[in-house]
Amino acid sequence: MLKRDEWIDLARKLEWELSYVSEREAFPEIVSGRTWLPQQEWAGWDEPYRTTYAEYVANQHEKDRSVYAVRAALGKPSDYERLPREWLDALKLHAATLPLAEFAAVVGNLRAVRFGRDSAWRSTATLGALDELRHTHIPLLLMHELVRHSAQFDWTHRFYHSNDWVAIAARHYADELLLASTPIDFAIATNFVLETGFTNLQFVGLSALAHDVGDRMFETMVTSIQSDEARHSQIGGPVLEKVVQHDRAYAQYLVDKWFWRSWLLFAIVTGFAMDYLTPLESRSQSFKEFMQEWVVDQFMRMLDEHGLDKPWYWPIFEQALDYYHHMVYASAYTYRSTVWFNFVVPGPAERTWLRQKYPRSWDDIDPVWNRITERWREADPGNDFSVHGTAIVGFCDLCQIVLCAGTPRNNSATTLRHGGRKYVFCSEPCRWIFEREPERYGAHRDVVKRVLAGEAPANLVALLRRYFGLSFETWGKDAYRGEYAWIDRDGGAR
Amino acid sequence: MIPLYGFVEGDTLGILVLAYETETVAELASKLQDAASVRVARRGRVELLHEGRVLESRCPIAAAGIEPLDRIDLRVVHDMPK
Repeated sequence: MLKRDEWIDLARKLEWELSYVSEREAFPEIVSGRTWLPQQEWAGWDEPYRTTYAEYVANQHEKDRSVYAVRAALGKPSDYERLPREWLDALKLHAATLPLAEFAAVVGNLRAVRFGRDSAWRSTATLGALDELRHTHIPLLLMHELVRHSAQFDWTHRFYHSNDWVAIAARHYADELLLASTPIDFAIATNFVLETGFTNLQFVGLSALAHDVGDRMFETMVTSIQSDEARHSQIGGPVLEKVVQHDRAYAQYLVDKWFWRSWLLFAIVTGFAMDYLTPLESRSQSFKEFMQEWVVDQFMRMLDEHGLDKPWYWPIFEQALDYYHHMVYASAYTYRSTVWFNFVVPGPAERTWLRQKYPRSWDDIDPVWNRITERWREADPGNDFSVHGTAIVGFCDLCQIVLCAGTPRNNSATTLRHGGRKYVFCSEPCRWIFEREPERYGAHRDVVKRVLAGEAPANLVALLRRYFGLSFETWGKDAYRGEYAWIDRDGGAR
Repeated sequence: MIPLYGFVEGDTLGILVLAYETETVAELASKLQDAASVRVARRGRVELLHEGRVLESRCPIAAAGIEPLDRIDLRVVHDMPK
């Protein structure tokens, strides 16, 4: 009987010569992706895991068994009820944004299963597609069943099917990245930039946070997903290497574009969780420290290894590490009814911690929290709309996220006239991406344009109910109803 | 009505404000301060800028050279030290 190493390449890396159609017909560039190269150029493609299907099934079975064991042991209402209130909102944020994005990644992987240019790549992508299906099912199962505790967990399933502004932004990103990309673009943008650069490490950070908070279920789920990510993300490097050899400018563009686009959403999902929705006593490092230690240093090394440059907007990104997620969080707090999870006001101890962690920016952010505190002092507890914005807010025509980039003293939003239309962008990198591919992005309408066109209601409550799909039960509120021990309603903030 | 993207100094967010052609720059500035007031308290002396140019407070919006979906900035005027 053949040993594993004697037969494995016959199963996972088997090419053959086409005779009925040409290679260009079997792998057209429009589907297989730029840069089109003949198969012999890809012949050396490989990845380090070299997993067989039998090994894959056995490993995944074990991992699933661990997840189900934790679910059986920890699925009781008392396990949920002892979790900190704000942490539950970090869970609702992740529960909504994760599972169906993973499902879109199934499609991205399957396109590589057919149109990837090397057989080993196609084999690994098959396992990647199965991974992503698992990453859809597990969070849907574990997080949606929390709906018995809070109706907001219904957004685990509902989110990507809604017209909520966060869902529009997330779809705008995920549709292009995961559903519509070619295998080459998918490998560089998803496997290399997003998974190797961000989510693989994010899952390490999130599982550590969940451990500190005492959320064993989330910790187990995230750890289980991370081990899959670590394997299939390995598709990215060898594809990038080949594209760099033949079309370095395009490789650099893809990396620059997708690092920026991924950063914006990552900063919201992970930045909110690490700096605001984790109780102070469970925080081991700030979001910025996490980014510098786990993402930036590693990403710089990866770029260097592939002979690529730092993105041109790096000084803008470095400033954003100090400001961006703080500006979005403070803004979103004042529009919390437009999302499906609750927010907390950082109290004096949290603000001291934030000042210490963000000495460059906190003096610009803190006055906004003073103002919000002042508004709560004047309002009755639970009267959320007394401390809530009513004006329509602006959205970026590229990332579809609110205009919260730059600093409070100098918001970096910029406008552009193109093809007879006026566009607004939150930042120079978003404008730059749009200007590189206006035909791809120009026709999309942000929430404001939909309101102005009469597609969506301008009245806030009508917009929430009829367009975003929220209800009083599910829309976001202050998690503590504005009743904080440190707000002295008789005499001022303590 | 002219929709405009408004940015108040000290705020974390860009807001869409709807300006009437007949209202003055000062009235629009006041409207913008109201729209951001949940995050930024009203300030005493402010000025409105369009493309880096300070708009005259009594000027009607129709004559201010502003087009739909332009950016306007509300800036606090600090007294010069004596």
